[in-house]
Amino acid sequence: MNAMFEKTFPRRDFLKGAGALVVGFTLANSMRASDAAAMEIGPYGPPVDQVDSWLAIGEDGRATLFTGCCELGTGSSTGLMQIMAEELDVAFDRVRLVGPDTSRTPDQFVSSGSRTISAHSRPIRQAAAEARAALVELAAKRLGVPAEQLATANGVVSVKSDPAKKVTYAELVGGKQFSVKVTGKVKPKATNEYKIVGKSVRRVDIPEKVFGTFTYMQDVKVEGMLHGRIVRPPAHGASVVSIDESSVAHMPGLVKVVREHDLVGVVCKREEQAIAAAQALKITWSNWADLPDMKDLHSTLHNLPEYSEGYPKDAPGGVLTKSGDVDAGLTNAAKVVRATYLSPFNHHASIGPSCAVADVRADGTTLYCGTQTPYGTREAVAKFMGLPNERVRLIYTEASGCYGQNGADDVTIDAIVLSRAVGKPVRVQWSRADENGWEAYKAARISECVGGLDQNGKIVSWQARTFGSSGYSRPEYHEPKHGGEPGSLVTAQLAGWDKPGLEEGFSGAAGNFEPVYEDMPNKRVVFTYLGPTSHRQGPLRIRVGSMRGVGSPDNIFVAECFMDELAAAAGMDPIEFRLKHQPRPRGVAVLKAAAQLAKWETRPSHSKPSSGDIAYGRGVAMLGSNTDTNVAGIFEVAVNKKTGVVQVQRAVIAQDCGLVVNPDAVKNQIEGGIIQSISRALKEEVTFDRSRVTSLDWSTYPIITFNEIPDAIDIVLVDRSDLPPMRVGEPASESVWPGVANAVYDAIGVRLRQLPLTPARVLAGLAGNA
Amino acid sequence: MATTKTLRVNGKAVTATVDDPATPLLYVLRNDAGLHGPRFGCGLGQCGSCTVHINGEPVRSCTRPLSSVGARDEIVTLEGLGTKEKPHKLQTAFIEEQAVQCGYCINGMIMQAAAFLKKNPKPSVPEIKTAMQNNLCRCGTHMRIVRAIKRASEA
Repeated sequence: MNAMFEKTFPRRDFLKGAGALVVGFTLANSMRASDAAAMEIGPYGPPVDQVDSWLAIGEDGRATLFTGCCELGTGSSTGLMQIMAEELDVAFDRVRLVGPDTSRTPDQFVSSGSRTISAHSRPIRQAAAEARAALVELAAKRLGVPAEQLATANGVVSVKSDPAKKVTYAELVGGKQFSVKVTGKVKPKATNEYKIVGKSVRRVDIPEKVFGTFTYMQDVKVEGMLHGRIVRPPAHGASVVSIDESSVAHMPGLVKVVREHDLVGVVCKREEQAIAAAQALKITWSNWADLPDMKDLHSTLHNLPEYSEGYPKDAPGGVLTKSGDVDAGLTNAAKVVRATYLSPFNHHASIGPSCAVADVRADGTTLYCGTQTPYGTREAVAKFMGLPNERVRLIYTEASGCYGQNGADDVTIDAIVLSRAVGKPVRVQWSRADENGWEAYKAARISECVGGLDQNGKIVSWQARTFGSSGYSRPEYHEPKHGGEPGSLVTAQLAGWDKPGLEEGFSGAAGNFEPVYEDMPNKRVVFTYLGPTSHRQGPLRIRVGSMRGVGSPDNIFVAECFMDELAAAAGMDPIEFRLKHQPRPRGVAVLKAAAQLAKWETRPSHSKPSSGDIAYGRGVAMLGSNTDTNVAGIFEVAVNKKTGVVQVQRAVIAQDCGLVVNPDAVKNQIEGGIIQSISRALKEEVTFDRSRVTSLDWSTYPIITFNEIPDAIDIVLVDRSDLPPMRVGEPASESVWPGVANAVYDAIGVRLRQLPLTPARVLAGLAGNA
Repeated sequence: MATTKTLRVNGKAVTATVDDPATPLLYVLRNDAGLHGPRFGCGLGQCGSCTVHINGEPVRSCTRPLSSVGARDEIVTLEGLGTKEKPHKLQTAFIEEQAVQCGYCINGMIMQAAAFLKKNPKPSVPEIKTAMQNNLCRCGTHMRIVRAIKRASEA
């Protein structure tokens, strides 16, 4: 139980009595006022008078990083440790990391959007640079040599002209306590000095995960812990009419049946007892059947009222881009193309359903959970309990991979309600059906495009409009706004919390809808916002939230499929057509790199019809911006015209994500994103009846299996180490949906505009009913 | 009626008292034996993350009733397959290939593959994929998992 000991060991005790050089965040925190977004430090960390730190160097010369960033199974903590080791000039294996704990680590907002390295590592890098400078100052005094004549390497400060004259960090720290304030004035290393950053260091978490010694959230045990299970309504809007407690009174191990409004659960001594009691508990629920018919989902979305107060000031009416005169462009066009694209709800489909342990006591609450927003969730939970923030301690514990907002936050409310009712610590483990039934789904979409081409195959009008809900229903805002609200959690809604959740408007879901091409004079791109929606509130009564890219994958699916449709209408090769409309320079570079690696054959799509059962095709998609990662993806597919099955045989990804901290970890993320997105492109669709979501297990929500993965995923990372590190997890995955759909068009000559590209839809398309 | 049962897990005796003999083995392994290897994913035998070996055969412990496991049956979990000091060749290969993302499914991947390699020590890539067909991974680590199994088979 070393991991648990580590997690519950108070930080101040950890440092007490032993020598250490501690880099405090108090000054870094005050820097926030002038440079909030750049430093990514929130206001909700430990109080500044309880000296806390970004990092500490012990008298053994080992360095400990205290971070508010959540390791979500991507390897980001290894990257942070590389950055710290690099900047400190200590060996990588002399560094360790302590993850989020609201009583001992800084507030680093939400760990999402592939931003741990690209954004949240910056203050850590700065703190490490300051620590190294402080150690050099100490060495200068000790050795009697000016600081500029000293060099650092491997935890040792030595005199440049006489390397035998040296002192170790451990010797410098000795048994004493040093407190260093971040000044922001120390300059971190130049990229060309890097020795650890840029290397494929092996991930620190992998050995424990393959030996079965890792402590996931689902493994957390605390003294005297009981087991809880919840019983959700059988319909999204149903309420408790009555509970027959006698139905479980005889059951062994039962401690209590708990009800707060429509949140119902059981607490038992053993886990299997709780499962049995939850199954046996007889509850009469009210009838509710107000979901739309699933076949009318997209027309329903199209007809929902616009949520006009959700638009930000810089996008009134949801207009993201407006330039030139789209109507005049269309009137003068030689060819006009129209298309409507549809995408479904998706499950996050984390392999491990959500779990939390809560210990609610009179003097304070301790909460273990696998959130992405330790401080926001802590605040939301504290509000729910009517407590000040400091009376709730949230200890982040890595759970199953999350890919966005699964039930990790919601389950904390369940655990608190049950623990509060029995006065003992309670572990709540959601079932597979609880997770699929009540998490926040990737939002479904309907999008409409109209485009015009002139005689030369040039786009003279581009109009795109999508109808989408919020991409964000976390209990915490993205920075720089901050705070936590229980109203964002469906479990709090079930428990009767009637104040609204946070509402960030549509901005989280509108990313990357604007075309990446500079030479497109007349455009109008609109995101019609339908507002937030939850099982218990809002217009649709199906809950949506963030999932890998939030709205961006849907937006890119539309933009890059439509680009392909216009290329085909112009009779041009899809890559030549894209280049003709001038992507930004980094976009051109990745597009050309992908084409070269894929040995792209220049010709218009679609390909010549094949005589056999299998039709082969290739498709391309690209995305990016000047300040973010640029990706081009090329996908080769085989379509079985008899069965309708699409197999992606090869994916080729060219990515420019600036400085690469750990190339193998980046490739691991790209491969994973590609495979997950192929699964979503070809197979995945949340299903529902008039009362509830019905895709509640792996047979009703199948995901990709080993026989369906590509034969190869070839990746080229374009060397731009002159640029800062940028996002690596999400962007490549977002090229998949349009790239695969374009490849299917290339193979069979039929344009499929509704995801997923199931065999039934392929066969319908081939039969002329797409 | 509560029943007490002693099992053999990773070569050691584990005693558990359950009310219902249909209790899935998974909960006894996790809560009574205190093991972290076998993981709860679906409780339906669909995803494979709970896989253990019983007498060398891969078994989904989330649906295997305790009543069907005898005192002489040898149960082996990921912890018993190998350790940091004495790793199984698959554990070494998974580290070499960095074939893990969140790692939640990896218990099942290694346990399934270990039983498979005993029967087919030198498999082809298509044979590996077919053997792993019923184990789900959501992070998309499949390419690396296949490479790790191939690597272990060549070790």
